Amino acid sequence: MKQRILVMGGGVIGLASAFELAGRGYEVTVLEAGRCGGQASGAAAGMLAPYSENLESPDDFFQLCRASLELYPEWQRRVRQVSACGFEYTASGSLYAVCHEADMLALESRRLWQREHGSSAEILEGDRLFAAEAQLSRQVRAALWTPEESHVYAPDYVKALEQGCRRLGVQIEEDLGGIRLGDLDERIEAAAADGRFFTGDQLVIAAGAWAGEWSGLLGIRIPVRPIRGQICAYRAEGSDPPLRHMVFSSQGYLVQKEGGTLVCGASEDMAGFDTSVTERGIDRLIHWNKKMIPALEGRKPFHRWAGLRPATQDGAPLIGRLQGHPRVLLAVGHYRNGILLSPVTAKLTADCIDGRALPAWCAAFRPERFGPV
Amino acid sequence: MSSYTGGRAGLTGAERTIEADSWRIGETTLTSRFFLGTGLFPNPYVQMEAIEASGAEVLTFAIRRVNLDAAEDDSILQHLQGHSFIYLPNTSGARTADEAVRIARLSRASGLSDWIKVEISANERTLLPDPIETLKATEILVKEGFTVLPYISDDPVICKRLEEAGAAAVMPGAAPIGTGLGLLNPYNIGLIVEESTVPVIVDAGLGTASDVTKAMELGVSGVLMNTPVAKSKDPVRMAEAMKHAITAGRLAYLSGRMAKKRYASASSGLDSFKLQ
Repeated sequence: MKQRILVMGGGVIGLASAFELAGRGYEVTVLEAGRCGGQASGAAAGMLAPYSENLESPDDFFQLCRASLELYPEWQRRVRQVSACGFEYTASGSLYAVCHEADMLALESRRLWQREHGSSAEILEGDRLFAAEAQLSRQVRAALWTPEESHVYAPDYVKALEQGCRRLGVQIEEDLGGIRLGDLDERIEAAAADGRFFTGDQLVIAAGAWAGEWSGLLGIRIPVRPIRGQICAYRAEGSDPPLRHMVFSSQGYLVQKEGGTLVCGASEDMAGFDTSVTERGIDRLIHWNKKMIPALEGRKPFHRWAGLRPATQDGAPLIGRLQGHPRVLLAVGHYRNGILLSPVTAKLTADCIDGRALPAWCAAFRPERFGPV
Repeated sequence: MSSYTGGRAGLTGAERTIEADSWRIGETTLTSRFFLGTGLFPNPYVQMEAIEASGAEVLTFAIRRVNLDAAEDDSILQHLQGHSFIYLPNTSGARTADEAVRIARLSRASGLSDWIKVEISANERTLLPDPIETLKATEILVKEGFTVLPYISDDPVICKRLEEAGAAAVMPGAAPIGTGLGLLNPYNIGLIVEESTVPVIVDAGLGTASDVTKAMELGVSGVLMNTPVAKSKDPVRMAEAMKHAITAGRLAYLSGRMAKKRYASASSGLDSFKLQ
């Protein structure tokens, strides 16, 4: 008989895990308190940028990000094929732009270590830089060009994952409101506020910023907290040449999507579970981005939104099986990188469900590493 | 040192000692001996909690990473609004004295601070400070009225030269930046402390609490750290551990350690009990 897996959370991590598990022949049910992709997943800018997101050194978290980027071409093909849904996946490459001469040393250190880890990055300056990206301000001193980085349109990608799950026979239960967990040892029992009741052989908790709620029940510290990320978007204007690369800087990022929408993120702050947009959060993006792309001077974003990024105490996600509750797995705490990390998390989670041990370097993501409550 | 500060019932003698044990950089009186770097933290929440736990009054950051046109909008500094920290911006990334001086001027012009940590590295692998360029930059910036705190190698001679050039403090490294190797040359740090008339702050290369205590036991006035806090599994708890390590080392230094002996000795000497 097929093992039955409950996945708690219909965000990108829960859906990707369900998609992978269903593909491996498990009977999967996704339990979602609200709507699938309704939180951080749908709010993400969808950048697949392990090199631009990890500036310092090739630590275990960087390796996880890089491993996931490598899975992406095949993974997105499968999601596309199974779901019959399209979504933007653009191999744009990225530019990490700097404005000070003093940034050159750090840029060069980064180029050196990242080239040993799958990047073919080069430092672009002057004419080469502005030929590569005509819209960039001439105040930009140089940029690290990383051709390997790409981006997806996150809302469509998450919809495709959801559709792919349904096509593979995953049962998706939405609008459950509060979910209570009963037994975790003989089998998994979950009850929704409206009385719906679910059982399974194993449970994957992919509850994003809300994962900490399960700390008491599981008896372990789950130091995951919501960090609000505010983003805004501009409509393309006919006169603008397209922004060909994702552009990063120490202050934020810019990425142009199919159809021309230019997305600018992100202002981070701590506001509990509040997802409202603030003037201050968006204004700092507007002040900064016109210095990167002068054409944005005087323009107003047509859309502003915010998502809650599940941030952990040490910056790394919690992925793997609990020793204290062997039927329970965690896949939470992906912070700014949930879209990027969805294929690798799905793979590692499914490997755990298959009963395989994770590679030694994944010890950095052990869900019990923060100790008991 | 241990004079009663008054009005603070419940403090131990040691706590009173630490509270009364303030020190100065230039015209500024400081209570905390912990300078904390603001880079590398996993997220702004952990960063703010760690800063709080550290008790640090002085925060340092790389000027090149800051949005100087609007510091209140900066991706890191925006979270520090409404607090009263002293900023110690650094010139990291500078490869010459001229570059460091230009960066320092930009920083002061933005109104961030007139304190400057001169940090000049010529080698992207070791990031070790270039002593000649550092001395040049210190001379220029002191003349321009900056409060200059140069990051420098653990060499007593260059530290003395920096002091003579008007540095408000000298900041010898324990080990290369971000290595966490701890105090590689305690002898030199001890000499620097002996000969210095300005505060000595051990900057860079510390790894854990015992490294910090050892540095403080040598009599340095303070320590500057970033990576050992930000890159620990629990930066908030590590910030607190470092704070205690500073206190422990400082109290041990003020107390004066016992002399080392080659053999065991009873506390009441055997000789005194012998019949003559």
